[in-house]
Amino acid sequence: MPGRTEFIQTIGKALGRGAGNAGDADIFTTTASLEQEALLARIKTRSAAERKQLRGVIEQVAGPLHIDFHPEDNLDDIAGAIGRLILEKDPEWGTEKSVVRWDHPLLSRLHLESLAELDGVTLHTTDCVSGGQGAKVSAAAQRSAIRENVEASFIGITSADYLAAATATLVMRSRPGHARSASLVPSIHIVVIEEEKLLANLEELYTLLKWDPEEQAQGLTNCLSLISGPSKTGDIELVMVHGAHGPRELHLFIVKGEAP
Amino acid sequence: MSEITSAEYKKVAVDSIADPVLQSALESLQSRLGPATQNLYQNLPEGQELRKTAHGYRRKAIDNLDILLEALADNVEKNGGTVHFAATDKEAVDICLNIARDHDVKKVVKGKSMVTEEIGLNHALEEAGIDVAETDLGEFIIQLADEKPTHIVAPAIHKTRQQVGKLFSEKLGTPYTEDPPTLTFDARKALREKFLTADMGITGCNLACAETGHITTVSNEGNIRMSTTLPKVHVAFMGMERIVANLEEQQSILRLMSMGAAGQQIGGYVSYIGGPAAENHCDGPQAFHLIIVDNGRSKILADEEFREMLCCIRCGACLNVCPVYGKIGGQAYGSAYSGPVGAVVTPLLFGVNNAADLCTGETLCGACRQACPLEINLPRMLLALRAKLSEGDAKWGVQPKGKSEKLMFEAWQKIIKRRKVYDLFLKIGYVLQKILPAQDGMIRRLPFPFNGWTNNRNLKPLAAKTFMQRWKEREGGKQ
Ligand code: SF4
Repeated sequence: MPGRTEFIQTIGKALGRGAGNAGDADIFTTTASLEQEALLARIKTRSAAERKQLRGVIEQVAGPLHIDFHPEDNLDDIAGAIGRLILEKDPEWGTEKSVVRWDHPLLSRLHLESLAELDGVTLHTTDCVSGGQGAKVSAAAQRSAIRENVEASFIGITSADYLAAATATLVMRSRPGHARSASLVPSIHIVVIEEEKLLANLEELYTLLKWDPEEQAQGLTNCLSLISGPSKTGDIELVMVHGAHGPRELHLFIVKGEAP
Repeated sequence: MSEITSAEYKKVAVDSIADPVLQSALESLQSRLGPATQNLYQNLPEGQELRKTAHGYRRKAIDNLDILLEALADNVEKNGGTVHFAATDKEAVDICLNIARDHDVKKVVKGKSMVTEEIGLNHALEEAGIDVAETDLGEFIIQLADEKPTHIVAPAIHKTRQQVGKLFSEKLGTPYTEDPPTLTFDARKALREKFLTADMGITGCNLACAETGHITTVSNEGNIRMSTTLPKVHVAFMGMERIVANLEEQQSILRLMSMGAAGQQIGGYVSYIGGPAAENHCDGPQAFHLIIVDNGRSKILADEEFREMLCCIRCGACLNVCPVYGKIGGQAYGSAYSGPVGAVVTPLLFGVNNAADLCTGETLCGACRQACPLEINLPRMLLALRAKLSEGDAKWGVQPKGKSEKLMFEAWQKIIKRRKVYDLFLKIGYVLQKILPAQDGMIRRLPFPFNGWTNNRNLKPLAAKTFMQRWKEREGGKQ
């Protein structure tokens, strides 16, 4: 890293670093405050009734954010509703109907490939990239196949790590099998997420990401995306238009939790 | 490397005020975004106090900038990214050109980034034979029109739908339309092609997080996610001050920034990017470079009077309420940074004398400070710049303005300090003013050297009796 030492020294000089001015020792927070601890506890012990309430919040904020919130709440109904969406909607860039989805256990349980009505539709999955020695296909070849499938698809189906209700913010981390482009390049983005993943707001999300030991172990990964609604722009005379570069539509399904 | 045209402030301002189309665009912008932002501040769950708290976070980050940048760089490198430090605009541009050469880059897609405007990156890339596509719709429009952005967040705010329609039909060959959704779709189509074939994505950085080692990018259009996901190389530029220490601080600031920028609770897409895609992941860039730019910022940092300016997160909220920006628009400010923020940042980055009109042009009304999500005290800094212009300043290399104004104010100070002299002055003035051209009881023209005052306005004549005289008479009558 050429220039780093000098660069930092220039800043140090500008800040008047030296004896008695070494910077704030407490600049990085290393222990959670009492409020943060309490918030963590509240998230962990949230009851089914409270989660249902959060679902209600999302139903309310979805409209203004231009999110299509669907009422179906069990896997069978959701699969049926997604099937209907695939049939009803027209591809934006061509005539072939291809759909791409994450390699994700919840999405696998939808069994979309066994829906009879989707016979003429190609269903792709963004499989894990293995590569490495002894692999049949190189990682680069797998990646370019995934890229091709995503580009060809007019609908992308993903899940998400969390959903913060107040702003309908979906949280997605980059992981093997979870292509970032599946929520971005297709014209329509469909999200299926479990009710257990609902949080009240961004404060809860950040508290969790920062202080929860499991989250800390995972880290943010090299790409964490927060998505609140479909792509939009107001750059021409401030007229709001949906579908600037990313998906024009965002459809949301929340799977109801198991009965206690 | 980059050029500013702030010296033409007055001329451009006059033209802009005379342009009815621009006036209605500015009015519509300010009447919508200004109140929307205020409304969100008033309904903050944490209360308005959050703005002060967030200012504190930013200030603490700036006061510990060396520590934070070291931590950020270490963490990004740990994640597999490469960090570069550029002291000047030229260094920053050269670093990027080298990366482009190493990866044999032919086509670049860019997300909106103020710092790349500041350092004149596009021009340099084009000179090197690289195709550069701005992908933010507003930036795309002004790139096609070969103009400069006139608003930090809405760069093409000065363009009407008719102008965009004509531009697209000329440059993209699409049928003429004035329908914003259709125009947006035309751009979507043209840019999708660019995204899918680009080999490098260039973005800015809204606010880095030192403890995790991520930059964040915020957009509503999704163009930045495209630029950071599809091309094989991602280069992010970051003004060295755009950093906070912790995730929890970032949460508040990103929300406040979204409120200031677009009247939103949170931007549509917020991405945390810490490095290239992991080997077993499906997609994402194979290389990630972060270029941290000084280019005059350390000088601002060293000056206690202006250090606060480095807290700015370039949200543009101050533009949406400024009575001066609301009339003259962004072009007059003559650099990438317009409005109140530009009136402070442009002189500091490009020379106070070069941009003297900017700091004297603002009214010091204080609206910008009220609108700023971080309550940055822009009026205080504008005043400080004016003082430097009047007195001169060796550290900032400021030549004082002509002596005459200073002498005049010194004389004025002597007069008003002595009541008798002042009264005499007024009496003489009262008699002399009768020979000045007047209309409807207003003076129309003052003689040289005061004629500037009456170029654009009439002046009320001096009254026959001063307030003090009338007061005395009244009080006297009572007793
Ligand atoms: S000065 Fe404040 S309102 Fe203006 S751009 Fe900077 S942060 Fe935003």
